Amino acid sequence: MLSTGMRLRSWTLAIGLCVGVAACGTPAPTSSSSTTKGPLTIGISVSLTGDFSNTGKAAQLGYQLWASQINAKGGILGRQVQLSFADDASSPTQVVTNYQNFISRDKVDLVFGPYSSLLTLAAAKVANRYGYAFVEGAGNGPSVFAAHLPNLIDAGPATAINGAQVWGDYILSLPADQRPKTAAYPSLDDPFSQPAAAALQARFEAAGIKTVYSQTYPAETTSLGGVIAKVASANPDMVVSGSQDADGWAQVQAMIQQKFNPKFLFMTNGPENPVDFPKNVGAQNTQGIFTSDVWTYSAPIPGNSAFVQAYIAKYGGTASQIDSTSAQTYAVGQLIEAVAAKTGKIDNQTIISTLHQGSYQTVVGIVSVDQYGAPKGSQFLEEWIGGKLTIVYPPSIAEQAPVIPKPTWP
Amino acid sequence: MHLLVQAIILGVLTGGLYALMTSGLTLTFGTMRIINMAQGVFVVCGAYIAFTLFNYLHIDPFLSILVSTPLLFAIGFTLQTFLLKPIRHDAHRLSLLMTWAMAIGLEGILSFIFGTDFRGILTTYQNSSWTIAGYEIPVVRALAFALSVAILVGMYLLLTRTKFGRSVRAVSQRESAAKLLGVNTDRTAALAFGLGAATAGAAGAMFGLVSSFDPASHYDLIGRLLAICVIGGLGSNAGAIAGAVILALSESVVQAEFSPAWSSVPFYVLLIIVLIARPQGLFGVRTRGAI
Amino acid sequence: MIALLALFPFSGAESWIVNIGIFTLMYAVLGSAWNLIGGYTGYVSLGSVAFFGLGAYGLALTFQHIGIGNGFLPFALVPLIGIAVAIISLPIGWIAFRTRGLPFIIVTISLVIILQYMALNLTDVTGGAPGLQVPQAPFPPGTYEEYFYWAMLVVFAVTLLACAYVRRSRLGLMMFAVREDEDKARGLGVATSVPKYAAFAGCAAFSAMAGAVWAYYLSTVYPQFAFDGEFLAMGIILVAYLGGIGTLWGPFVGALILTPAQQYFAYSLGGSQLYLIAYAAVFIVVMLFLPRGVMTTFADRALRRSRRRKQVVEELATAESESPRDAPSPVVAR
Repeated sequence: MLSTGMRLRSWTLAIGLCVGVAACGTPAPTSSSSTTKGPLTIGISVSLTGDFSNTGKAAQLGYQLWASQINAKGGILGRQVQLSFADDASSPTQVVTNYQNFISRDKVDLVFGPYSSLLTLAAAKVANRYGYAFVEGAGNGPSVFAAHLPNLIDAGPATAINGAQVWGDYILSLPADQRPKTAAYPSLDDPFSQPAAAALQARFEAAGIKTVYSQTYPAETTSLGGVIAKVASANPDMVVSGSQDADGWAQVQAMIQQKFNPKFLFMTNGPENPVDFPKNVGAQNTQGIFTSDVWTYSAPIPGNSAFVQAYIAKYGGTASQIDSTSAQTYAVGQLIEAVAAKTGKIDNQTIISTLHQGSYQTVVGIVSVDQYGAPKGSQFLEEWIGGKLTIVYPPSIAEQAPVIPKPTWP
Repeated sequence: MHLLVQAIILGVLTGGLYALMTSGLTLTFGTMRIINMAQGVFVVCGAYIAFTLFNYLHIDPFLSILVSTPLLFAIGFTLQTFLLKPIRHDAHRLSLLMTWAMAIGLEGILSFIFGTDFRGILTTYQNSSWTIAGYEIPVVRALAFALSVAILVGMYLLLTRTKFGRSVRAVSQRESAAKLLGVNTDRTAALAFGLGAATAGAAGAMFGLVSSFDPASHYDLIGRLLAICVIGGLGSNAGAIAGAVILALSESVVQAEFSPAWSSVPFYVLLIIVLIARPQGLFGVRTRGAI
Repeated sequence: MIALLALFPFSGAESWIVNIGIFTLMYAVLGSAWNLIGGYTGYVSLGSVAFFGLGAYGLALTFQHIGIGNGFLPFALVPLIGIAVAIISLPIGWIAFRTRGLPFIIVTISLVIILQYMALNLTDVTGGAPGLQVPQAPFPPGTYEEYFYWAMLVVFAVTLLACAYVRRSRLGLMMFAVREDEDKARGLGVATSVPKYAAFAGCAAFSAMAGAVWAYYLSTVYPQFAFDGEFLAMGIILVAYLGGIGTLWGPFVGALILTPAQQYFAYSLGGSQLYLIAYAAVFIVVMLFLPRGVMTTFADRALRRSRRRKQVVEELATAESESPRDAPSPVVAR
């Protein structure tokens, strides 16, 4: 949050801009440069309004929890952490302005990433110009890493494409006679879900699983009845849905309405939300649906139970209500903390060079990235069993073995 | 063939709901000669009212229409009185921005109250469907279609058989003449705008049942509703119904038979063809200055 | 005035201010371009955004396919993109001009929707949902924004000159005639399609040029942002209304007030979710209290004062008012 003093100064500057244009030549007041002794200021733009606002609030909660914990411990290298949030209204023009303001006006020490791949790139490029490290917890679509930015680090354990590969690992680990023979791939046309489903499709085709349907639908599609009708008419053994959230619910609802029950149902996103998913498709209908995830409150990751307890202590609610975005943004903070602990320094150059090497334990798992910031790890497979989201693969962390095939809709 | 028929069934059922949403837009255009950009957000308001009543008071969404309709009527009437009446001197141009401001203002208020997560209403019959001759007919969509048709018939009777209906038609045909004949045009406009919002309230409760929504859902809705209006002919009720069915039908069939990515494109192509061949829309009347 | 604006980055303004200056000029260009069609000929169009998006994609696609480097050359491409989009706009105009009034507005909205669909679905050309990336320019960080500022300023100057020229020419008179009563104008022998197509193509060209500079500055292009039928489309019209529709400098004044305020509110109201409500409130206040725009309102006031003083009516009315419709009626003068 901006202090009152800073707010006053900003107003003066905003007026100064208008006067400056009209009278032209009036020099704008200069901001004081940052000191290394004061608090560690971090600028973060989140989407609180607009298309990506669903998770913006959850992102903010994760960052704030981390800041309050680190400050209670005495801060980073003795410096208290101070977070500044701005709303980017889900617009790239605004996100550029926000990071520009953070860096060249408020002269924050660090910046963290916004939500959504679409905004991540525009923001990361601004940060790159100024040599700022850009650690982000929620932009892992392939286009983000394809931009080859040297300052970008994704704090998740896996990219969107690699994350879903755990489903491929599992299916191909089955004996040949148990594997599905045919598959359908209905996907949302967006930068995360579609590439993930497409990567799985390529892998399954190579393994001899026949593709009977592969289409993308646009984000504003409100009724997926037609899509599922077509899928149902092809009657595949397996459906791999490249879904986000609401469209994932719509797919499930249409399948139930059309009484189509695939033997295997994997959705890239949607079912991993332990509250909203059963609320919108019906708890009794969740049985046997698979998804992959980076984090869940019960995941056996070091530090996770402490994170869950701290979250509940600060914000109330229950463990199952914690959005995984909060854990991802919390992990961003943990990475910064790790850099300070490892090097004894906290500047952008150190963060960039340190995080590109080695691996780091966070609440979303071990983070290790390549030269363009893409995480190298994978996600785990979850299945809804008996009304509970259960980790089923890989076997090393599974709470239970997967239950297949999917039972018919109740 | 089976798939095509299934897609047609789904398309027609969805079309009924769109027709109801569009009828309100047609009404306000007919009486006030304005495009109501807030019609989409009125629908979303109706959905949130149904959502609230269902989750906290366990009132069935179809029953909640009895609440959402008068409430949206009141909102529409108030907004017209305080925001649209003062700009009627140049309503033709200013109303576009004013109703847009209403839309984003209401979106902001909804975000403030309900947050921006996607919501859905899950009734016990949400996922049931009747199987008739091998075709699956989702119960919620069938009921929403039936109720939409019933409300549209009611609207038609209201506009053709009552004094209010006569004044609405008088104002839409020639405002100055209606005024001379003693029609209170301001009152008629406020009532018509309220009624337009009320249809959105009714449609919204059902929209909340058949699909999930968030405060920003109105952008997609208003785009569709406006296109429906133009293809059918602005101000024409028959046109609104025809346009809505064409939109929903073409989307559903293309989605199933060809590619969901292109599902909306045939509708817009048809829109362009209609505009080239018949600029006033399928059922529109060519009037001087309007088209 | 333009010269003063050109010197602005040298005034010691920091990067973040120049950044807001770029977006302010962008809205000034878009508002002025919109003014040609919406203000001068009276055809309210929401299609500016479609051409803005075409300009943005035009630049990004040239990078992808021709490899024009990332220095100053892309700026040289901007006028070419403007001309190309203007040509593309002519057949689109042919369809759109089959309607007028409210249906015309809806047709132009549909145009934005159709183009967004195409950008999303023609993945082989446009990259689809993951968008297109443009390489970042190799300018030093301290002055990075200034080049884009000047580029946008040049686009603005060209737009403004074109508008000023049109207002003084026969073409402008024809545009105003179309706005006042198109049927009557045609009846009097005015070739009404000339001013209509000229305004439409002009709006397309300048909007596309703004879009091209914007794409290079952000160096990312996505379908839903390039063809943003929601905020950008309405924001453009609000800018024109706030400043004063049909006036020369109105859109610039509107952009100067609105853009910094909007960018600032979103930045500083973060966390409160009040942004949308505040934005709507600005719209409503403008519509209720300044429906004729800042420029027109002040022009009227100045006019009224001078009338009281000099008792001269007719000459001043034509000299000071910006356009026929904006000329205050004699009733106003006491």
